[in-house]
Amino acid sequence: MRRVTQAAPASGGSGLFSLRKVRYLPVAVVAVVIALFPLLTDSGYYQNMVIISLVIAVSAVGLNIITGFGGYPSLAQGAFLGVGAYAAAIGSIKVGGSPFYWIPLAGVLAGFFAFLLGLLSLRTRGFAFAIITVSFLTLVRLVSQNWDSLTNGTAGMTLPLPSWDRAYLNWPFHFALVVLLGFSLLVTWRIRRTKFGVGLIAMREDEDKAGAVGVNTPTYKLLGFVVSAIFTGMAGAIYGYYLTFVDPLGMFGLLLSVQIILAVLLGGKGTLFGPVLGAFIIEPLNEVANNQLGGGNIRLVIFGGVLVLVVLLLPQGIISTVRRRWSLWQERKRPGLTGARIELCERPKPPVRPEPSDRYILEVRNLNKRFGGLRAVNDCSFGVPEGSITALIGPNGSGKTTVFNIITGMMTADSGEVWFDGKRIDHLHPWSRAHLGLGRTFQITRLFGEMTVLENVVAPLREFSVRQLNQTAISGEEAARAEELIRMVGLIAYRDRPAASLSYGQRKLIELAQVLALEPRVILLDEPAGGINPTLIERLGELIVELNSQGKTFLIVEHNMPFVMGLCNPIRVLARGTTICQGSPEYVQQDQCVLEAYLGTDFVLEPKGAGGA
Amino acid sequence: MTGLLQTLILGILIGGVYALLASGLTVIFGVMRIINIAHGALMMIGAFVTYTLWRDLGLDPLLGVVITVVVMLAIGWVLYLVTVRPVRRAPVTTSVLLTFGLAFFLEGVMGFIWGNNAVAARPSYVDASISLGRFYVPQALLFGFLLAIVIMVILQLIFSKTWLGRSIRASASSEDAARLVGVNIPLVAAMTFAIGAASAGAGGSIISIMGSFLPGMQILWITRMLSIVVLGGLGSVPGAVVAALILGVGESLVASYISPRWAPALSVLLIFFILAVRPQGLLGTKLREDVAQ
Repeated sequence: MRRVTQAAPASGGSGLFSLRKVRYLPVAVVAVVIALFPLLTDSGYYQNMVIISLVIAVSAVGLNIITGFGGYPSLAQGAFLGVGAYAAAIGSIKVGGSPFYWIPLAGVLAGFFAFLLGLLSLRTRGFAFAIITVSFLTLVRLVSQNWDSLTNGTAGMTLPLPSWDRAYLNWPFHFALVVLLGFSLLVTWRIRRTKFGVGLIAMREDEDKAGAVGVNTPTYKLLGFVVSAIFTGMAGAIYGYYLTFVDPLGMFGLLLSVQIILAVLLGGKGTLFGPVLGAFIIEPLNEVANNQLGGGNIRLVIFGGVLVLVVLLLPQGIISTVRRRWSLWQERKRPGLTGARIELCERPKPPVRPEPSDRYILEVRNLNKRFGGLRAVNDCSFGVPEGSITALIGPNGSGKTTVFNIITGMMTADSGEVWFDGKRIDHLHPWSRAHLGLGRTFQITRLFGEMTVLENVVAPLREFSVRQLNQTAISGEEAARAEELIRMVGLIAYRDRPAASLSYGQRKLIELAQVLALEPRVILLDEPAGGINPTLIERLGELIVELNSQGKTFLIVEHNMPFVMGLCNPIRVLARGTTICQGSPEYVQQDQCVLEAYLGTDFVLEPKGAGGA
Repeated sequence: MTGLLQTLILGILIGGVYALLASGLTVIFGVMRIINIAHGALMMIGAFVTYTLWRDLGLDPLLGVVITVVVMLAIGWVLYLVTVRPVRRAPVTTSVLLTFGLAFFLEGVMGFIWGNNAVAARPSYVDASISLGRFYVPQALLFGFLLAIVIMVILQLIFSKTWLGRSIRASASSEDAARLVGVNIPLVAAMTFAIGAASAGAGGSIISIMGSFLPGMQILWITRMLSIVVLGGLGSVPGAVVAALILGVGESLVASYISPRWAPALSVLLIFFILAVRPQGLLGTKLREDVAQ
């Protein structure tokens, strides 16, 4: 028996390990220098530069959560900075009290606005989100300009001067921002390692797919946006106290938002320190543009131009690019995995397949779905017996994938019902259906390309709870289970590879492992054998039989008839959106309607009179 | 009552100009799946080019539109080749960020060339009005409205009657299929983007006589145009026309019955409202990428 060696946690190489050593020493040195900066120099110019850099850094770290992890571009993060600054100004002028109240409250207020905006964007995708954020900035700027009694209009508001001894100068602002930055980095670091973070990244890679494997995407989106705004709002409050003056142009200018976005993109979106690195490049550049180059239009040209250049030439940002170059260099002598064989470990012979019961675990009743004038699904009804491997076959365009999409909740039917285990589920969200035990694969595989194979397989969530958001993403038990699944499909050698680097057939197998991680009771496979080689098809068939004997029910859409007829029973035949025939493989193959649907009525070569067809 | 009707007439006229501006934006999205945030900046360039032609050569702004369109076709073409083409296949987020940066870059360049003070093209008819019974119509607005209609009709003819238009529509519905039947996709994409820029420029020509303008107004205009295309349904030209008229009338009403200072807030509130209630817009259909394959 060929055993695959247990991959130790350190695999992925000594390269990574030495990289860490090299990486963290300078980070620590830089962190100390930044934290203690006011002690190192008396220059007001440089102290100011570092303070503004810190403001942008905190905002960028916040933005990174929703844009870097979640993939939703907030173009106007500066709006939350301004909201925070105005909250501090209005609070301390109209109400009074300590910054220790107003800074957290400013964060809460910004988070509240983000929550409302997030609610608006629940049903939309990335570009609408970009539009919403820009509009929000326009709106708050208008309010700050026009609501004179609250904001003093375009004249702006002057905050009370700090009450501490002049000898301390800017230290309190500086250290408050350092603490806030450290805290936001800690939170980001933690998020990346939790179910919440992996869910956000899954959403960035493929939002529908994330829903199908049980990720409650709207909640994740909302939460990610709120967290990102809270940090930015708090930074804004400190910024307001520091400047001691807020006005609409200074606080709600779009260029500040451009700088925050640039900090994230330039440093490296989705990385921990990227936004900080970016902020400490962008703000000095801003000072140079203002003081040496005359400000005004040159700032627009520089920052607009740099944004264009970064998107075009350095889309991954400095940190990710350096990291990738480094790991390529580290691996230059190691043979690649391309073409590495699928490890077929021997598996126990499955026990005799149990007889499927008479009970339908999954049933659709009178489904209808129209796309304009086209009736894709037309009064379609069928059931999937518990413990069976049921096939759904039919000519191209007969509505099979649409039925799949309706069953899993990616589309809503115009009418009709979907029942799962005695419960009507057609009103549930895709992730809720996944939590009940309904898993699916896609006709064209949809893995989270930038995640590793292992991360892909641990991404599915079997339930949703608040506690879960803070759970470690890859816990020991789960990792072991995921590795077992990856081993089962024979791809353990690819465990730490990004999913995008796999071949088509390999992706199909990993997608199956991913669905299995949901521990579904019913698995829907959309053309599992399409486009993969005969050995893999055989392997897939064995896997399905093995899983079936462990009690999993399958519903398979497939065009490979030998595969279907050898594996499945019963069979449901779909044509023109409706079930035209149901029964055993033998029965279906003899059925006149089925022959007609697949071959037309004129398939018999002999003339009608002579042949007696 | 007269006041209300007067407000409605002005709103419809300005809405017609908005329709021209938004239709280019929505066509670019329909064909290329790119939200061109720099569309407002392109419009401002068109306004400044027209203004320069009027100031230095004495060319009537509404006739100058012919030259402006040619200039904007060239600018659009170059911008496409240099910046947009490399991110054609990238996710929508990428092109949003790219054109967002481009908008500010262009704003800065305009500031260098034309300065940051408000200017306006003021041909002889700019202060004149035509009286229709009890109503009056500013001539500049009426001419601008008529010109916008003419340009939209020309655009419509290009789309429906020419080979280029058919190629553009074919690429919009399926790029792969269009390629298979011999459509030169890179060329069509470049021409679509250039035509979008030219229509923005033509809109800018009209805007140049309707009041003073400066480079920094690009963001106000892009917000307005985005709200129109979102309201009408992304990618839908008829939707954009209907939405533009709604916004034009709405802004006129807010300006005359509440305060001109709050008129720009209407576009924002419209965006929020429509995205909450009907995310696909008035005449939009659900996008293909919203549906699982």
